[in-house]
Parts: sequence; C-alpha cells; structure tokens
Amino acid sequence: LNGGGSPLPVLDRDSRPLWEAVARHELNVQTCEGCGRLRWPPRAMCGTCGSFSWRWTPASGRGQVASWIVNRHPFFPGMAVPSVVVMVRLDDADDVLIPGGWAGSPDGSGLRVGLPVRVGFEENSEGVSLLVWRAEDAEDRG
Amino acid sequence: VTLRDKAAIVGVGWTEYSKDSGVSTLTLALRAIVAALEDAGLGLGDADGVACHRVGDSAPAFAVAQSLGIGDLRFHLDQFGGGSNSAAVVGMAAMAVASGVADCVVCWRAINARSEHRMGGTGRAPLVEGEFQYQAPYGYATPPQQFAMYTRAYLDAYRVPAEALGQVAIAQRSWAQLNPRAMMRAPLTLDDYFASRWIVEPFRLLDCCLETDAAVALVVTSADRAAHLRQVPVLVSGAAFGGGHTLYSNRHQDLTTTAAAEMGPRLLAAAGVTPADIDVLELYDAFTPLVLLQLEDYGFCAKGEAAELVASGRTGPGGSLPVNTHGGHLSEGYVHGLNHVAEAVTQLRWGAGPRQVPGAEVALSTGQPGYVAGTSSALVLRRAG
Repeated sequence: LNGGGSPLPVLDRDSRPLWEAVARHELNVQTCEGCGRLRWPPRAMCGTCGSFSWRWTPASGRGQVASWIVNRHPFFPGMAVPSVVVMVRLDDADDVLIPGGWAGSPDGSGLRVGLPVRVGFEENSEGVSLLVWRAEDAEDRG
Repeated sequence: VTLRDKAAIVGVGWTEYSKDSGVSTLTLALRAIVAALEDAGLGLGDADGVACHRVGDSAPAFAVAQSLGIGDLRFHLDQFGGGSNSAAVVGMAAMAVASGVADCVVCWRAINARSEHRMGGTGRAPLVEGEFQYQAPYGYATPPQQFAMYTRAYLDAYRVPAEALGQVAIAQRSWAQLNPRAMMRAPLTLDDYFASRWIVEPFRLLDCCLETDAAVALVVTSADRAAHLRQVPVLVSGAAFGGGHTLYSNRHQDLTTTAAAEMGPRLLAAAGVTPADIDVLELYDAFTPLVLLQLEDYGFCAKGEAAELVASGRTGPGGSLPVNTHGGHLSEGYVHGLNHVAEAVTQLRWGAGPRQVPGAEVALSTGQPGYVAGTSSALVLRRAG
C-alpha cells in the first residue's frame, strides 16, 4: 500500500460500520430510505429529503478517476515517495467521491481523468484494511 | 437592512515577517493590534471587541482580550477554520459595529507558522478525525495535497498548461519586488519555476505559499466614528459568506468551480458594484491555481481563460487588473488571508508607495474560495469620500 507511515483513521459513531465493512473487504454506501439517494461518507440525515432513515448498501466498487495526486515530498515520517492517491467518482452516484490508494505505478503514469477503476482492499502495516483502486482493465493482483 | 458602507477599517498593524519570530504567538498578536490601534489614533481603552480565525497555530481570543485589558468585552469571535474565514472575520466585525453590538473591534491573525506549528502536519499530529479519516490513511492530509487534488481536475478540464501556474507566481513576485515587507523579492522566471522541486504533483515548491511567523491586525469601527479618526476610512461596502460543497458533501459534481461562483455575484450586488468597478484584487493564494480559479469564478474572465489573462501581464505591476499587489501568500508572507485585507486597505488609502495602484477606489479582498473546507468569504472595500 502506498503512503506507508500515514496515520490511522479515527473512527466515530457514524463511520464505525463503514470501516468494519472495509475490514471484511466490502465497500458500502448509505441509501436514503426517504428518497433513495446514495450517501458517502456516512451521515445521519439526508441533505436532499431530510430523512433520518437509511440502510447500508453494497457499492458496485466501480467508478472513474476524478483526480489524483502524486506525493513527491514525504509528508509523514516513513512515507514512501513517489506515491499516488486517487479520488474516484463512484459509478453508482456521480456525487459520491471516494479517495484511496492506487495499485498502479507509484509515479502516476497511466492515470487520467475518467479512467475506469474498481476497488480493492489491502491491509496497511498496522493491519488496518484500506481501499486500493486499480484500473478496470488491469490484471488482478489480488 | 444593509451592511453597505456602515462600518470602516480605520487602522492596520503588522509585526515583522520572519521564519522565526522568537516570541509567542500571543505576543505577535498583541504587537500587531497595538500597532493597528496606534495607526487609527486610538488607544487600548477604545477596543471593546476581538475577532480572529484559527486553525493550526493561533492566539486565543479570550487571551488577547484579557491582555488588552478589555473589561467589558462586547464582541468576541474565535472562528474555527482556515483562510476561508479571513474575510468573514472582518465581515462579522463590521456587522457587530454596524448593529451597535460593539463600537470598536480589533481583528487579527497571528501565527508562528514556520518556527513552531507548520500548517497541516509537521510539529503537530495530522487530523485523522471527521472527513480526514477517509483520506489521511492514504497519506493525504496536508493543504498542498488537498489543493493539488482539486487542481489536477481543473487543469485537465480546461487544458490549462503548467506554465499558467508559474505565471501566477511570477506576477506576484514582480509585485513583491516593490514591497519592502515581502519575504521573497528576488526576480522569478519560468525557468526558476520549472526548476523548483516537486512537492505533490501538480504542485512544485513555487506553487506553494510561504510559511511565516507574523501577525496582522485591523481596527473596525462604525463609519460615523471613522469619519472623525486619523486615517482615510476604508468602508466595508459588502461582506459575503459562501460555500457548501466539499469532496464529501454529496453535492460536488464539478471540482473545477469554487464557492466564489455563487458567492461573488451576491457580494458584488450587496456592495453595488460590478467587476469593472474593482480597481485592485487581493485574492487568497495559498497555492497558485486559486488565483486563476477566483479570476474566473468572480467574473473577471470566462471559465478557462484566467491562464491567458495572467500570462498577458494584466495582473502584474502596471497592468489593468492588479492582483495581489503585496505579493500575496506566495511572495509577501503567509498571514492566513488577513494580510490581503491589510493590503487592500493600504491601496485604498493610497499608501502603497511604489506598488500603489493609481487612484484605487474599490478593492476586492477574498478568503480561500471554498475548496477543502467548503466555506468561503470575501469583502468589497471602498475608499471613503
């Protein structure tokens, strides 16, 4: 996983089930019971219809690259550089943006806005499961 | 009810800009505030309100009020947040004095941003709570990384070349050469820009603001009282707050447009001006692309055309659309947006020396335009008379 040495997430009462699902290698989004809108990251209320009712829904795990960065400066002690972080627009809803690591080249070669990607999961050095995106047509390296 | 021209900035104060102030952040704040009150011809006993914004290093508002000896504090604001709040703090101070809640509010920003607490990381644990929990584990948490993520999408969508970012840095360095306060005054070329090291693609070192130990303070009072003070009053013609979109708001289909696109027209209408009326622009510039984005989103050119506007030299010294006449955060120093308001006031008082924009009457001074934090703020200021 890129970005070694990065801090661990601090979970809260809204996010804990999401991270627990990621630990099972599942990517979930919230579906509003009021209007059906998808929501990520998790929050208590729908900003469109105001409903507090929602359910967890498995995401397709597919999307397109909305943007990416290539870290050249080691922002944290022990951080590997270069390393890529991608921001993915989920196919399920065009206003859901999910960041993650990048399974491709650490210098970002081959990345472009709109590149089709799918989600994968990887454990960091502390054993915490994180999202790693890879090109849709890339060979599956697990 | 309107805020237009009801409040005025009547005093400005700066500390020295350095990489190591050697004093506490509170000391910096107090030095700048005392200088601003003296500039206004006022004394310590005149201030009855305090206001600042804070993220990273700061001097607490209550500690400043106590140190100033304010016994009956009529307005206090310790606004959490970054550069998106720099204009907001002055706007709220203006509302406070215009409504009679307070009579004289001191606004400041004080930071030992180089020697003690570098923004977003080194020296302090990075944020890993809230929305940061979804990105920090990938090594994505600091300001240059956050702005770089948006910038890639903007450069791609409008086919903006890398040179365009360099041209922003060069134009502002040209202004800084005329500013004795500026920390970076050596001439800058595109070769220098491309030779500067990568920080986080698409940003090189020269795309990033400085890290500065400094404080800037302003004194805000009613327009009526301002008319009897020492300096030419600089009226707050309009103040606006905006935003709502972040990467995580489920509303952000377009990463290439900032909150300024919605807030700008509202601000200009409140002030009764159009872009053509604005003589000088002090645009929040934590990173070079913010200047391009704001030129477009505030309506000074069409979307995608700011690169050409800056490359033409119009935003530099002698140009018809002067932008960041102090050198901005890129070359003067980083005082989290309040130095932009201070420069606008200096220009409108016609006190900017060799970098003075001749006859400047109206200025736009902006906070961070809404990336990352999802909020923004800006002011239209006008020379009284």
